[in-house]
Amino acid sequence: MSEKIIINPITRISGFMEIEVTVENRRIVDAKTKGQMFRGFEMMLNGRAPLDAIYYTERICGICSTAHSLAATLALEQAFGVGPTAQGRYVRDFMHGCEFLQNHIRHFYQFTVPDFVKMPENYPLYQTNFRDFRLPKEANDLLVQHYFDSLPFSRAAHQLLALFGGKAPHNHGIFMGGTTARISADSIVRCRSILQGIGDFIENVMIPDVGTLARYYPDYYENGAGYGNLLSFGCFDGYPELGTLYIDPSVSVNAAAGGTVRGLDPGRITEEIDYSWYIDSVDTYTPFETIPMDDQNKEGAYSFIKASKLENLSFEVGPLARQWLSGEYRRGISTMDRYIARVLEAKKIHEILLTLLDQMIPGPTGQAVYITPDSARGQGLTDTTRGALGHWIKIENSVLDFYQIITPSVWNLSSHGNDGSPGTSERALIGTELADEDRPAEIGRIIRSFDPCVSCATHVFYPNKEPKFITVVP
Amino acid sequence: MADLTGIKMVWLELNGCSGNIISLLDGADPGFDYMISSMVDLVYEHSLMAAEGEEALEHLFRVLDQDFILAVEGAVPLKNGGRYQIVGNWQGKEITALEIIQMLGERARYVIAVGACASHGGVSAGRPNPSESVGIQAVLQRRVIQLPGCPCHPEWFLGTLAHLIYFGEPQLDEEGRPVFLYGISIHRRCERRSYFDQGIYATQFGEPTCMFMLGCRGPMTTIDCPIRRWNERINWPVQANTNCIGCAQFGFPDAMEPFVRFYTLESNLTEEMVEVLEDE
Repeated sequence: MSEKIIINPITRISGFMEIEVTVENRRIVDAKTKGQMFRGFEMMLNGRAPLDAIYYTERICGICSTAHSLAATLALEQAFGVGPTAQGRYVRDFMHGCEFLQNHIRHFYQFTVPDFVKMPENYPLYQTNFRDFRLPKEANDLLVQHYFDSLPFSRAAHQLLALFGGKAPHNHGIFMGGTTARISADSIVRCRSILQGIGDFIENVMIPDVGTLARYYPDYYENGAGYGNLLSFGCFDGYPELGTLYIDPSVSVNAAAGGTVRGLDPGRITEEIDYSWYIDSVDTYTPFETIPMDDQNKEGAYSFIKASKLENLSFEVGPLARQWLSGEYRRGISTMDRYIARVLEAKKIHEILLTLLDQMIPGPTGQAVYITPDSARGQGLTDTTRGALGHWIKIENSVLDFYQIITPSVWNLSSHGNDGSPGTSERALIGTELADEDRPAEIGRIIRSFDPCVSCATHVFYPNKEPKFITVVP
Repeated sequence: MADLTGIKMVWLELNGCSGNIISLLDGADPGFDYMISSMVDLVYEHSLMAAEGEEALEHLFRVLDQDFILAVEGAVPLKNGGRYQIVGNWQGKEITALEIIQMLGERARYVIAVGACASHGGVSAGRPNPSESVGIQAVLQRRVIQLPGCPCHPEWFLGTLAHLIYFGEPQLDEEGRPVFLYGISIHRRCERRSYFDQGIYATQFGEPTCMFMLGCRGPMTTIDCPIRRWNERINWPVQANTNCIGCAQFGFPDAMEPFVRFYTLESNLTEEMVEVLEDE
């Protein structure tokens, strides 16, 4: 006898999704993650001035906007045939790293902790009927205190980003050639001072806190494994002077079972749309090929999130993928490992930021007048907070003519593949045993371990029969 | 004037990037913790609340017959009967953003549109507006306090909220924006104004002079960025050597594009730019 459980809204994530699971004998036998919002950035970008993509695509996501400004810039630099200066790249990667810190601190304390820690009931915001709270009072009180103590540190990470970027979210400083910001000694020392506080917090509070969760919820090492295929586009990598500070582009198939770590060919990335609300003349395609149009009445489809694949396989992306692939953390692949890897990655990123600061020299970082080519294409691939992010662009008549975006949450929250196989987080849910079917705590905890960003995952739309827009670029 | 301290507040995230709640978390003095403990009783916020699923929606429905302030970020998609954004599922029925904003919006004591998308559609309604998104005023029969900006500065929101709680509704301009925040253009108070007055213009980013010829929208944008600045007042876009892109003005982004214009010469100034040169 099977039963369906629907959770909607899944709160404490960015954006809107519904989880529908089928349960037999308290075990999840099928799962659907349904993206339930839609804006259509890929169509909006068509016809716009290419450089505007840097600031425009940031608005895909409020918690990871810096990532989009970086991916758009990388794609444009390839299309324009320019690259960043060494100093410019240090500064913009520094800004990107600040976003990791902001995001990881907020994800751990504001999004994760209320799943495992009984928050104070005198705030209506924190009232819940969940019963599976296991920390003894003293440990619970401490984590509640740290929930509030963490707020100035995530804020400070955004402040560091704004120091070079002008503001956060939605910075201005990441641009062609690296950054528009100048470096000065007072900025450098200010960064060091702020980073010292953040580093102490990560080391002395955040890492012990995730240890507390792991100690009282060890069963979460046993669920949420998923396919175990890991992917990263690389980040903080390939500096001429420094080499790779974190991770090169890499994948591993069946990593937990001993799969080797190897490089990846982005040419083998595809998207599949049989189970998502899009139609096209093909149901699988490479990023430069086509952008399907939306059709919410499509038979059999259930989500605004497509299914992304590499070599026809589903992959997990994000902090655990990076920590595993780079060899930093290999305890296992599970719900709890994802939470731990995210916290450990905050420490790693903090170290990288200090290294980047060491390289900075006061002065301008190098800007130029950038002339838009008449016709060009470019791809911008980078790993970001939640995993692998790609922007693929074509320019015709000096305006954007094609804009494909595949975000980390498309990888992690994929709908079923064309063969009916579940997406990455759907696979992670299947097989989970629910302790209490009336109040299933496991589903939200497993899903949140992926740090979903539905705002990012459901940006897409492009009726390719639409007449082209003509914009005059002064 | 009644002191509304402790009044219930709902923060709705509709079709957008959820960047305004992130921006709110960047506020300090008051910070988020002060806001929820000493200003309002926040009962619903998608990104932060402990409850999920139907239990979360119960929090929302419980407030309907109470006195509350409604803050909204994100636009309202109208396409396919509003089904381009589902905000929850109540006993088998999917609830659209359109339904929830109309249900709450007409009952709240005050409604605040936080950020560009809620105010006027913003980026979510960028042409050709694939989801047919609109600002919340377009689907409500009542007055909405407008706080455009992408995102909304935490102090614009918290300052407006403080005004509502301690002093009632602030003076609003004819478009619903608080005059104490949106009364004076960026250009008037820009730290690079003296370069403009002398006609010294930057030709690329990274230069210390006036970015009017790069397409700065400071003259067309009324808000207090030059004196308030961002992220605990550490910086703002002009100080980062980039022009204002008019994110706090109605019409953003389409009316502000292209954001960056290299090689603007006297001979190809836009009509708008000519007006600025004449007026200022």
